[in-house]
Amino acid sequence: MSHFQNFSSIHDAFDAKKISATELTKEYLAKIEASKHNAFLTVLKDRALKQAASADAIIAAKGKVPRAEMPLLGIPLGIKDVLTMDGVRTTCASKLLDNYIPPYTATAVERLEKAGAISIGKLNMDEFAMGGSNENSAYGPVDHPTHPGYVPGGSSGGSAAAVGADLCAAALGTDTGGSIRQPAHYSGIVGMKPTYGTVSRYGLVAFASSLDQIGPMTKSVADSATLLEVMGGYDPLDSTSSERTLEKFSQIAAKEPDWKNLRIGVPKEYWVDGIADDVANRVRESLKFFEKKGAKLVDVSLPHTQYSVSVYYIVAVSEASSNLSRFDGVRFGVRPASLKDAKDLADFYKKVRAQFGPEVKRRIILGTFALSSGYYDAYFRKACQVRRLITHDFNEAFKHCDFIAAPVSPTTAFKQKDQTMDPLKMYLNDILTIPANLSGLPGISVPCGKGDHDLPIGLQLLGPAFSDGGLLSLAHAFEKGRA
Amino acid sequence: MLVTEELTRKVADLARLELTDQEVTTFSAQMQKTLGYIEQLTAVNTDGIEPQYQPFEMSTPLREDVVVPRSLDSKGKPKVLEHAPEVLYDGFKVPPIL
Repeated sequence: MSHFQNFSSIHDAFDAKKISATELTKEYLAKIEASKHNAFLTVLKDRALKQAASADAIIAAKGKVPRAEMPLLGIPLGIKDVLTMDGVRTTCASKLLDNYIPPYTATAVERLEKAGAISIGKLNMDEFAMGGSNENSAYGPVDHPTHPGYVPGGSSGGSAAAVGADLCAAALGTDTGGSIRQPAHYSGIVGMKPTYGTVSRYGLVAFASSLDQIGPMTKSVADSATLLEVMGGYDPLDSTSSERTLEKFSQIAAKEPDWKNLRIGVPKEYWVDGIADDVANRVRESLKFFEKKGAKLVDVSLPHTQYSVSVYYIVAVSEASSNLSRFDGVRFGVRPASLKDAKDLADFYKKVRAQFGPEVKRRIILGTFALSSGYYDAYFRKACQVRRLITHDFNEAFKHCDFIAAPVSPTTAFKQKDQTMDPLKMYLNDILTIPANLSGLPGISVPCGKGDHDLPIGLQLLGPAFSDGGLLSLAHAFEKGRA
Repeated sequence: MLVTEELTRKVADLARLELTDQEVTTFSAQMQKTLGYIEQLTAVNTDGIEPQYQPFEMSTPLREDVVVPRSLDSKGKPKVLEHAPEVLYDGFKVPPIL
């Protein structure tokens, strides 16, 4: 079995005729079949092999991989099952969508496939991306890529496990409150949440529209840059998509940062109680690396950090309660057998929506409450006011630093079933990733070593809005310097 | 804020969610705990602060209103009906409302 560290080594192997796209795809299909991670919900065998055959035909005709025009030619990717693909089952890991076959393709996926990527399958996740351990899937939990019995993180847990266990070359995830960065940290891979608006959300089943962003989950920073460059950029089908010209991320990422003029902010509020020693130590060592390179470490303050979980769990669930009202069983989705007893349409909706899992129900109820008459001002409006204060904190901090370095999450991956009984405890794990979503900022998790029990640890780097290129360059230099 | 089972039932009804009695009890206790935590927001002075509903200021882009033909399947039927739960003529079938 082959093992490739990044896209360019795959392309080198194609060029040298060491392996074909078809052979590589078959190897991955065999690994997926043998794997016990439960990372895939749907394997697209025939479709993937057809894409591989056409990739091989292009390589044969051109003599080698046309890397500039088709930077993802023959690269097998996993797609989080919250992104639609025309004619391909898309479940969002929910029983309610067990049979849903959308008639259109997400812009991000369409652009990746146009650049030659092979979609090898749809990946497991927390139902409707709600969760941080992938234990909220209607299709069962996902196992950690290297530590059986531990969670891979969530909600993009299938993506993290699939990349970590090399069941695909890279994957797409989505990040609403940390759902790319946290599983990347738990599973020892690279995961990036781009600036809000960088990647079109068209075809992404919405959880919280003002927070959701699609991003890459990869084995290397260079691969993340390539995926972002291909799938990013303006899309008229998403009204929040940014009209800025997309940077050449793959070129910028490869550039050495201007270390002497670089200021890395260290927010004191991110060193909260409960940061485990192993996590704290690896992050401190990472800070020393930047200092050694010549960057200046700057103490910064983000005073409203302690409120971010509260703000998030009002804003996200409120938006979710509205977004998920579309799941009524009328136009798509599973109509359960109990429907034959439905008294009227309202009863029909209730019986269809009884198929949601407990975490989804919990969040819809909390969101409906926060938006309901009499509570709106005290909860939703108040949370949105504090959201502005959190954004203001970042604006102030970035006057004194170029990027921020911090842990991703207070601990390493935990054991399955450890936290499922206490939703609030689970929510509090997100305190270090949520602020970036509230303010639309780019963030990346890069492996920075191992902790107790040899569990992976990631370093989180955050930047101002639309500094994605610089962030990738910093992350790339860190990855290279550490190796 | 006291989360009674009655409040949970009322909100679930608004959201068109059918809950079992066990779910009502569990969710009420969990929501009580979560809202208890969220009450920390009352300590923040937000006088005169405009609520922020989007990650940053964005304009609403406008585009031409162009008619795009609906996509059809191989049999010439609208694609959205291809996997519909129940179809009647060219529409989605639901139980009688009246």
